[in-house]
Amino acid sequence: MLCCWPGETKDGAAEPSARAFEPVLALLEQFCPQVEVLRPGAYAVAARGPARYFGGEQELVGKLAEAAGQAGFGCRVGVADGLFAAELAASSSPDHQIVPAGATLEFLARQPVSVLGLPELTVLLPKLGIRTLGEFAALPAGQAASRFGAEGVVAHRLACGLDPRPLAPQPPRLDLSVQQAFDPPREQAEPVVFAAKALAEQLHARLLTRGLACVRLQVRVCNADGQQVSRLWRHDGLLSALAVAERVRWQLDGWRPDSERPDSERAGGERARGAEPPDEGISGGGITLLQLVPDQLVRATGRQLGLWGDAVISDQLARAAIRVQAMLGHQAVTFPVLAGGRSPADQVLLVPFGDADLPERPADRPWPGRIPAPTPASVYQVPRPAVVTDQGGDAVSVTGRAQLSAPPARLAVADGPDRAVVSWAGPWPVTELWWDPARTRRQARFQLITDDGRAWLAVLTGGRWLIEASYD
Amino acid sequence: MRYGDAVLSGDSMLPVLPALRELLPAGGLQRGSVLTTGCWGLLPLALAAGASASGAWSAAVGVPELGVLAAAEAGLDPDRLLLVAEPGQDWPQVVACMLDGCDIVILRPPDRPPAQLRRKLEAVARRHGSVLIVVGGGERGAVRPGEHSEWEGAQVRLLPVRQEWVGVGAGHGRLRARKVLVAADGRGAGARSRECWLWLPAADGSVRPVLEDTQQRRPDQEAVSAG
Repeated sequence: MLCCWPGETKDGAAEPSARAFEPVLALLEQFCPQVEVLRPGAYAVAARGPARYFGGEQELVGKLAEAAGQAGFGCRVGVADGLFAAELAASSSPDHQIVPAGATLEFLARQPVSVLGLPELTVLLPKLGIRTLGEFAALPAGQAASRFGAEGVVAHRLACGLDPRPLAPQPPRLDLSVQQAFDPPREQAEPVVFAAKALAEQLHARLLTRGLACVRLQVRVCNADGQQVSRLWRHDGLLSALAVAERVRWQLDGWRPDSERPDSERAGGERARGAEPPDEGISGGGITLLQLVPDQLVRATGRQLGLWGDAVISDQLARAAIRVQAMLGHQAVTFPVLAGGRSPADQVLLVPFGDADLPERPADRPWPGRIPAPTPASVYQVPRPAVVTDQGGDAVSVTGRAQLSAPPARLAVADGPDRAVVSWAGPWPVTELWWDPARTRRQARFQLITDDGRAWLAVLTGGRWLIEASYD
Repeated sequence: MRYGDAVLSGDSMLPVLPALRELLPAGGLQRGSVLTTGCWGLLPLALAAGASASGAWSAAVGVPELGVLAAAEAGLDPDRLLLVAEPGQDWPQVVACMLDGCDIVILRPPDRPPAQLRRKLEAVARRHGSVLIVVGGGERGAVRPGEHSEWEGAQVRLLPVRQEWVGVGAGHGRLRARKVLVAADGRGAGARSRECWLWLPAADGSVRPVLEDTQQRRPDQEAVSAG
């Protein structure tokens, strides 16, 4: 088993969206045809076949890393018996780690219990004197189950180098796949994604009536030229129809040949802010067939939803949002997520409906120097240029020691009229990210109130005045 | 029940913040109605805040600069907010979709819609029992009191008439709060015109009425005494 973490792109920025990992997947498929997507950015393949072909696990890993490096991704590879150990090997080493065959148990035994990723056990076990997985695995399985419950059973199996769930008797082989043919072929991705949601609902209904869940979902797409792309996605009975449709979208997006991608997408740049071009055509004469095949059927054991507190997205709302996305594109409908930061624009991250991105700057930190409440009601996505002058008509400036050249007297926003400044506060100097020359910012902020009663948040940076936000 | 667990109280009415109750003829947002609020600002967000706190979903269409943090401070739950920043040419369809899915839709139309289209959207809001809050387009000052040409079919029209920021002097202090005189009138049951001074926002970003005896005091002191 092998697990690959193409963690970062060339410019070192964490990828905002799962779709950016599609090129990695294409690259992996050159080595091993069957790639399982654990989650965007983490992939597993069965290593035995390719290792034999390339002349050993070491050689395979070397070739993989080289190819990833050429494509501009950093990657970490771990090889071990079993998925959990392989993932651990990949994530715990700076680049590559190969656990020799048969040595996986020893490798696991050395790991601290925190690697299980179960917060409760991570705290509880060390208090009981159990610090490593080896010590935990030494407990009898029955005792672990009675003391720690279902979570403990999974943890114990992982610590013993087993798969998290015991082998389930194979349910009868049924063909539960669903498909939809498109005639005429669809040139755009959106109608296909729209159909995928209906198909996924159909598939889930079929599985449900038989009491089954699928561990993996295979999405097969054929186009008019006869090419087909099929991909496996981790499902575990947890994906909603909406989430399945998303994965179809990622797959279709990744299918576009590299030359058709816009530059911003290749660089993994500012897409969350709506720089996405309208839906582009799909090469090869359009899509003729979409098929969803459930893989590895298991008995559905259900899952427990939170009793209170979750903002549940009703089907009705999801339908409305998807319809708008089908009209305007994936990025058009967004969820705001509060993030940390000092300027009002930094404090909100817009996540496309259906994606799950966590802000890289958490909101629950102090952020000294942030703009205090009340916060502005209008935050311009692109700050508007402004001219701030003093009584004599000269532009107001701030020295390196935050000394003002003269009190601001007049403000003209963008192409608007020139207004008198009746009161003002500032300058509040901020130097952010001084350790990163590419992203560093030196700014001085002001609050200005003009004679029409409006309040503005102005920022002076690099000798230019910008209006970041308006308070009314 | 159609609205499921979304909003439990009052089938035909969405709650609003206590400070805004007096301004609205029914004391809340009547499902299926249309409101206008003048230019973009905190007022439309404050209107949606009360319902959001009780579980209603809101969508904002055509307002790319919406200050989510200000909305959260006013009481609007950002977890129950959808944004369609650039609805483009098809904005009426987008609004119709959102009226189907959400309880409150805040709309800033890119241009002044023809009467037929306005009536159509009013009908959609009535059919789905959702509330449409229309924000005037263009720059501030384009609409003056008494000149409500933006959306004739609106049942309630709110308009900030006067405003005054406090807390900033000449080079010292910082913005603390804003006193706004909001005027309301409308059609039918809402025809009686009302006026009300509000802290919009108060020192902590929330929305509360300006109490007569504390009008001269500093807002941060009031926030302490009221809290």
